Amino acid sequence: MRYLITLATFFALTFASFAAATDGADVQIGLSSETVEITSNFDGTDIVIFGSIEGGNRELLEAGGYDIVVVLFGPKEEVVVRRKERRLGIWVNGEAMRFSDVPSSYSVATTKALHEIADDDSIGILQLGLDNINVVTEEDGGVGEDLEVFRDSLARLKVRQNLFLERIGGVEFLSPTLFKAKLAVPANVPIGKHTAHAFLFKQGKFLNAKFQEMTVKKIGFEQFTYDLAHKNSLLYGFLAVFVAIATGWLASVVFGKD
Amino acid sequence: MNIYLPIAEMSVNVFVLFGMGAGVGFLSGMFGVGGGFLMTPLLIFYNIPPAVAVATEANQIVASSFSGALAHYRRATLDIKLGFMLLIGGIAGSALGVAIFSSLREAGQLDLIISILYVVFLGTIGSLMVVESLNAIRKNRGQADAPPPEVPSQQSWIAALPFKMRFHRSQLYLSVIPVLALGMLVGILASIMGVGGGFIMVPAMIYLLRVPTNVVIGTSLFQIMFVTAFTTVAQSAANQTVDIVLALILMVGGVIGAQFGAQAGQKLRGEQLRALLGLIVLAVCIRLGWDLVNTPTELFSIGVGGH
Repeated sequence: MRYLITLATFFALTFASFAAATDGADVQIGLSSETVEITSNFDGTDIVIFGSIEGGNRELLEAGGYDIVVVLFGPKEEVVVRRKERRLGIWVNGEAMRFSDVPSSYSVATTKALHEIADDDSIGILQLGLDNINVVTEEDGGVGEDLEVFRDSLARLKVRQNLFLERIGGVEFLSPTLFKAKLAVPANVPIGKHTAHAFLFKQGKFLNAKFQEMTVKKIGFEQFTYDLAHKNSLLYGFLAVFVAIATGWLASVVFGKD
Repeated sequence: MNIYLPIAEMSVNVFVLFGMGAGVGFLSGMFGVGGGFLMTPLLIFYNIPPAVAVATEANQIVASSFSGALAHYRRATLDIKLGFMLLIGGIAGSALGVAIFSSLREAGQLDLIISILYVVFLGTIGSLMVVESLNAIRKNRGQADAPPPEVPSQQSWIAALPFKMRFHRSQLYLSVIPVLALGMLVGILASIMGVGGGFIMVPAMIYLLRVPTNVVIGTSLFQIMFVTAFTTVAQSAANQTVDIVLALILMVGGVIGAQFGAQAGQKLRGEQLRALLGLIVLAVCIRLGWDLVNTPTELFSIGVGGH
């Protein structure tokens, strides 16, 4: 029975857009650019998400009764987390745990602290914030409290690599209905399809969400090199050798004494 | 100025890398060594993933050994037949090394093994160089013209081995077993450590195989060039870890630095140079060794699993 209630809550939250019709508030978003192109001088960039709250209660809008959470998810990947242990005086990789469905990058911006926007259950079900990213372990059971340690380390390391980011207050209202959020795209951003989600909350209640896709791709020389190395790796290897021999030959022509 | 490395998938400062290439090139020109054993650890210190550093360095060595081998070929100071036999061993070793590399990477122990191998090899070679050059300096002070060191005849256990072959250029009649084995060892090191292996091959050829010194350098460069070329192709095919942009920056820095290094080397005394290089090698060894035993601030690491 309890399970059913949880399930019902989940559906109520996920499909709250139906309920939103009665409230009349809806969220719309647009991205400053739908593709991020990685070129040879790419050193990270910012992506701006613009949005508006439509059909909301005028008084409530002006009083700041609506909250926005914007999330940019990178493509899902499988990650191995390893823990070092000391063996014979040397630190070596010991226990390892595999996680699947990990977003390769995750950037969230909010109007205020997540626990002030809604209760923990709603925030958790919607997977908002670094503590609530849903990852799946492939080892089934028996890991106990270590699971949490490995899971937290995964998030901590991703934060250190600038791939997981939380910006409380990163959503800025330009007018009672218009907002913008600036999300950082780091230099090591994963290639592939990213999705930007905007979640609309009204006085602690989740109303509605919209999402839009964004593509991160290498272009020109970077794309050519990467594709060649991964799809035609033998040819790439010969090309690398050729470049080396040409450089070595050129050096002997330029500097050669004999 | 930052540049994005397409395979390492990171943004790096092009001047820092060029400077590293030129610096190591300078040292290798000055001392007449390949420099792979200094370049790979430096790349790792600069946070290039060890797998990429090792494979890319093999690619760079192709460039530096090519111009050297070409010069020796023109001067006829290389024994092609001996080089070819070393090469057969080298290619087998490299293929084996790349397979070991892949499985260590899968098991998450590649970085550790690379570090341990470097600590062992750099520690041994650095100590030998420092001791040997200090002895030479002391001897020079004692008497101006020391008698030339005696070259003992071929090691008896090597002379006793079967499958003998005649190498005309080196004036040797020698079993192919130690030649293939030496080539193979160097091939394994090339693929796992990203070194040419000259620092092992040259002394082994002189002291174990008794190859005349005038063909040793040319022949080892010949073997190194083909083995690192094979390693580059094999690493590209098996692990996709050769970064051609990184390699090119290092190559250009390396060949330019080597020219100035060679000029500087002619003005300095041999023993002092060797003592200095020995100390540099020991410093790199200590730094890598410290990272192995020092309690890390972060016990966890992440890697992308499966493809």
